[in-house]
Amino acid sequence: MKRFIVITLILLSLVGMTGFAAGKQEAAKGPVKLLFWTHEDKNREVLEGRFIKEFEAANPGITVERVLYPSVKIQEATLAAFAANQGPDFFNMAIEDEYQYIANERVAPVIPEAAGYANMQAIIDAYIPKVLDPVTVKGKVYGLPLELTNWCIYLNKKIFRDAGLDPDKDYPKTWEDMMRVSEKITKRNGEIITRRGFDFRYPYYLVEMVPMVEQLGGKIISDDGKQVIVGDDAWIRFLQFMKEWGPHGKNLGSPTYKASRSVWNFDKDEVAMTSTGLYQQGRMRTDNMAFFNSSDWMVVPMPQFKDAKKVVAQSYYGHYYLVNAQKPRDNQFAAWKLIGYMLGHAEDYLKEVSLPQPTKKLMASDAFKKMPFSQVFADDMARAHVVYYGANSAQLQKLIQAAVEGVMLNNVPPEKALETLKKDAKDLFAN
Amino acid sequence: MPRTVRSTLKKKQDRWGLVFAAPSLFFFAVFSFYPMFSAFFTSFTNKQALSLARPKFIGLENYSYLLQSPDFWNSMRATAVFTLGTFSALVVFSLLLSALVSELRVGKKLFQLAYYSPAVLSSVVAATIWLLIFDPRGLANQAMNAVMNTPGVDHYWFVNPYKEQFSTMLVYFWKHIGYFVIICISGMASVPPSVYEAVRMDGCNRWQSYWHITFPLLRPTVVLVSIMSMILCLRTFSVQYLFTLGGAPERAINVITMNIYFTGIRFFRTGRASAMSIILLIIMVVLTWLQFRVTRSEEVNY
Repeated sequence: MKRFIVITLILLSLVGMTGFAAGKQEAAKGPVKLLFWTHEDKNREVLEGRFIKEFEAANPGITVERVLYPSVKIQEATLAAFAANQGPDFFNMAIEDEYQYIANERVAPVIPEAAGYANMQAIIDAYIPKVLDPVTVKGKVYGLPLELTNWCIYLNKKIFRDAGLDPDKDYPKTWEDMMRVSEKITKRNGEIITRRGFDFRYPYYLVEMVPMVEQLGGKIISDDGKQVIVGDDAWIRFLQFMKEWGPHGKNLGSPTYKASRSVWNFDKDEVAMTSTGLYQQGRMRTDNMAFFNSSDWMVVPMPQFKDAKKVVAQSYYGHYYLVNAQKPRDNQFAAWKLIGYMLGHAEDYLKEVSLPQPTKKLMASDAFKKMPFSQVFADDMARAHVVYYGANSAQLQKLIQAAVEGVMLNNVPPEKALETLKKDAKDLFAN
Repeated sequence: MPRTVRSTLKKKQDRWGLVFAAPSLFFFAVFSFYPMFSAFFTSFTNKQALSLARPKFIGLENYSYLLQSPDFWNSMRATAVFTLGTFSALVVFSLLLSALVSELRVGKKLFQLAYYSPAVLSSVVAATIWLLIFDPRGLANQAMNAVMNTPGVDHYWFVNPYKEQFSTMLVYFWKHIGYFVIICISGMASVPPSVYEAVRMDGCNRWQSYWHITFPLLRPTVVLVSIMSMILCLRTFSVQYLFTLGGAPERAINVITMNIYFTGIRFFRTGRASAMSIILLIIMVVLTWLQFRVTRSEEVNY
């Protein structure tokens, strides 16, 4: 009996050890069945469902199974699947999460002829400059963008007027304005906030808060790549601002309140301003069509610090479609063909889902220009850069989060929070 | 019965025993032992979740890194605080509440149902309900302010690190207490009524009867409840994870399972996450062994 158990365990362990060496490309077999993983988005789900049906009708040898995951779950589901060499044929995620798949050669380069391009250069030429940089390695493009998003400030004019402010004149141009205006708008029941002027999108420290540090002259990494968390004065001023924003300062908002973006659409006198992308307009149409159609909202650029050393808007990030390199060549070809087909409908994505694909053609189109406040987004994007992505980006974001939470919620002095952040970031890059 | 016939019969019985046990042994080996052994081997490598390169054997490097990492020790602290706070409350209150419920003449089933109902909820649903309760505008602040006559005070359930830890313990206690109460009630029901009749004739009151008869005879149940609740607490994850997604600061409640999740799934460091899992497994085994030693749980004979 004991011998049976021991032998079983040894055999299972050996099977596990051989798993380390797996990961070869699968062989093609018969008709192509594509497995496509993506995140939930009610509006996009309908649109892409239609594209998939059209594609299947036009390509009888190809069938597509689409699996939808909540946006916070898709990263772990995809990672677990790839770690077991069982990843889908193609998928999409934010570039911060996708970068490791490119760095570890788990995804295949675009097949230009499948995606509807003459060659690799034609792909690069079709997109606005720099947007393919995060997915380009040694001249090969590994992903095509479903969307490129930057955030600006959505503002509820009714709440401004209710607080005695003129939205067209008093909208915040600087972060100092943002604090002053928010103090006027915020309502409280004792210490408990019942209406916020503005609140940050707390999980997104790299997208929203690092540009604030950069405005003040700070950086995540020095240009030579040798130093992390650069510019102590800038980081301390940023952390001081966040401390004043939180419950131990002027009590204008906090990560413990409901996310401002998710309540803003409903126009229920809960929050006057939130930072979000052009895609919010699609969600407004779904959540509150009357508010969307009204003239009670507008979009303004991201504020800058009064004495900013550099004008920087909130970082933009992209969701790119990537194709599994372990799948047979036939599947890769079919996957790029379907991706090319879907992305070929850029105007539909913009009109029906408010997702802008960063192609030169779309950005110059009337469809883009007619989108409410699209010029504000375009202007801010010109002042922004892509979000920091790299092997350690997720961990670095967690360290910045700890520093911000420390000053805002645990009343840690900014100098002390910075000291910890610098030490932890240094250890992170050393290990 | 001659010795040889008895020995053949025993062998036959053993063989059938093995046949019946084989399916469960197989599943246990595949789904429990194999992951443990796999994690054990992986903990000595630099395996990265997405890397196709063969992982390099790095000996005890992962363990040595963890033992010097303040983040790991913070997770050990958070796990210890949570386990001690929740496990002791679960054991003590499950005994007390089961005694109270057993003594009830009316409404016994209703109380059992009421205590047990949170146990059927998934941890995600339980955490979501409590997230709404601990929201600054939620029930927790309203109830505290009504009781303490402090209108408008924010009790900072997620801001104050002590209250944040207490909040996670409360959710876990609320969710699991019913389950352990039911186990204790079943244990009490197995004590023969003749024992109580005898002590009553000897003049014992209810408290003496509970303390000198019920409690000692419940020892196997207490050991079971304490081991199960301790292991449950050491494995806590979803409440802390969902609270941090809801805006609670991570540091105070970054229990070891959450650290394993972030290290392995979000930061791709499978080798290091495996080393943490093995340390957690060792802690569980040692604590379970200690509990058996301390309580010296033998079969109770009535």
